[in-house]
Amino acid sequence: MLPHKPTILIVAGLCFCIAFTPPRQVAIAQKQKKTAPVEAVPPPLNEEFKFGNVDLELLEQSDLLDLKLERDGLVLRDEAANAYLRNVGQSLIPKGLVLEKVSWRFRALRDPQPNAFALPNGSIYVTTGLMTLIDNESQLAAIIAHELTHVMRRHTYMQNRSNRKKFLSMNIMAAVGAYAPYGVVGAVITVVTTVAPFIVMATMYGYSRELEREADLKGIDMMISAEYAPEEMIGVMKLLDKDIEGENIRLFYNDHPALDERIKYLSTYLGARADKVTAQMELNRERAAYFRNMEALMRHDLQLSINVGRFRSAVYLAQRLIDFHADSENLFWLAEAYRTLGPRAPELASKELTNSAKKSAAKQREKRTVEEEERDLLATPEGKDNWQRHQQKAEELYLRALNAEKPVPVAHRGLGMLYEKLGRANDAATEYEKYIEQAPSATDRERFQRRIESLRRTQ
Amino acid sequence: MSINRPFLVLRLRSFIFTVATLSLFVFSSQSSRAQFLHPKIQSKKTTIRNVVVMPAKVNIVRDSMKGPEGMAAESDELSVRVEKMVTEVLSKQKHVTTLSPREESGQADAEQKYSVADFQTKFDGLLPNIKKKRSDVKKGRFSMGDEVLNKNVEKSADAIVFIRGEGKKLTGGKTAFNLLVGGVPAYLRLQIGIVDARNGDVLLYTDPVLAGDPTTAIDRLRKALEKGFKKLPAVSAQ
Repeated sequence: MLPHKPTILIVAGLCFCIAFTPPRQVAIAQKQKKTAPVEAVPPPLNEEFKFGNVDLELLEQSDLLDLKLERDGLVLRDEAANAYLRNVGQSLIPKGLVLEKVSWRFRALRDPQPNAFALPNGSIYVTTGLMTLIDNESQLAAIIAHELTHVMRRHTYMQNRSNRKKFLSMNIMAAVGAYAPYGVVGAVITVVTTVAPFIVMATMYGYSRELEREADLKGIDMMISAEYAPEEMIGVMKLLDKDIEGENIRLFYNDHPALDERIKYLSTYLGARADKVTAQMELNRERAAYFRNMEALMRHDLQLSINVGRFRSAVYLAQRLIDFHADSENLFWLAEAYRTLGPRAPELASKELTNSAKKSAAKQREKRTVEEEERDLLATPEGKDNWQRHQQKAEELYLRALNAEKPVPVAHRGLGMLYEKLGRANDAATEYEKYIEQAPSATDRERFQRRIESLRRTQ
Repeated sequence: MSINRPFLVLRLRSFIFTVATLSLFVFSSQSSRAQFLHPKIQSKKTTIRNVVVMPAKVNIVRDSMKGPEGMAAESDELSVRVEKMVTEVLSKQKHVTTLSPREESGQADAEQKYSVADFQTKFDGLLPNIKKKRSDVKKGRFSMGDEVLNKNVEKSADAIVFIRGEGKKLTGGKTAFNLLVGGVPAYLRLQIGIVDARNGDVLLYTDPVLAGDPTTAIDRLRKALEKGFKKLPAVSAQ
């Protein structure tokens, strides 16, 4: 009897793993499912969801994450922006909807990377980077509607439950594989236990993509119910697809469907609702109102973008602000964006937007600091040319900002930094002095005081 | 006898695998206990007397048979403990005084929070470059720039300390699984950078690692930190 025992155990283990991997979630099944039509059912007002211990633990972690984001200074404390988000969010929630252990909170997160996420406790975060990138309130509503669906349909809990089962299956398979006997049976078991984790992994990501798809489509339904232009959901996807910084890398496994795929299925879904397509004039009006409400947040985001080296995004976003309102402060921000862009090209070339080029650029970012990247680019004729053009453009914009109505003192600071880089020590020191004189309580006063001393010493 | 042979082979294989995994981890830990000093510190042109320790960011997860689970409360607790211990080691072993960052209240509170958050982000941005080639700290390659002066730290501070860390705690089931099948044991890996408060140069980088449950290994954590700062010249007690 004994010689058969390990084999029986192994086979029993494999059966257990297979039992935990329902075939409907296998990647192949996913592909077939994607073509199936999705019915437009509004979120149910009374849900069937029952909380288990695992869900309650996840809920507790979410509450703690809320506190952490607040404590670490990552939540934007701009009451106007948060109130705006709250109003848009509340207008999307179906009237009378009561969800257990959900308390809706809508907040802007200080992060220049375009992103949004929902926690299962009802906290919805939209980054300043995404709020600056989009054009109007309908697009903001599209983002929030997508995230609201994740909360309403309890996606995070469902995915957590599903992932736990799959992780357990993978671990059991690893154990079975490690103790596989020699011989043909052993070889078969080894092959199966080596391949199976990849399939399980594919089902994990497949399930995630399925939930994202549902959030996109239900989001459209919610937008229509709240009388927002539903086609703006596609507008958001198109904006995200722009990939100004060349960072949307396609990996072997992806938890979101590809953006072009999302645009395709949303267009198909929306095709039946063509009567809802909003007139361009109406959207333009909405855009102006959105920019008025978000101007302060957008400027804040420009600073964050420059801080983390997202210079191309800064130029693109500052130009949009200028197109909307060319006041002294916005001119200053465009000047800052061009000055810090330095020797880089304002837009990535098509050869830099291939997946392999993006991957190698990401590796380069780990190897080189921002200063080293600039130094290397300045050693090339294109880099030198870009640098000269951008410095000229920046100087012109700083001067325009200083000659505009209500000039901002920071424009002197920016001009000083530009002159310092150009080796015009005297002009730089003069500009810094003007800045300190006009903004005596600036937090960076000490930094520029030191620079003035150093520049005056070198003359 | 032929009955026992496959079992013997299996046990031997699993034993070899576990030993190999553990030794790989232990040896890699040893090598990563290295510390790298800026030439200014090595040549004693700059001495670190007063530092400001930025809030530590340590993140640990519980690894179970059903995958990783967040440990937000424990991570916060550990962050505070690591921060305190770094302060303690610096003051006891190196006689370095720790200053508190300038506190502001009321309306300025939000700005202060933003300022600290941006400062931490700036370090996080530089960290992958440092980690990629830690030994370049010895060449004085890494700097956060004179923007550090904006950050409103105490004026008499010579340096600012940044602490990052990540770790893993194993459940009973996962520990047993690792013993049988192999896998990464519980650990805590810290990344500590000391930055010049005047020009932003990275003066020291060290990344101590300790094996074992990160939430309970207090003594080992202290030892790991002491090793991490071993090369940092002590301030002569006056």
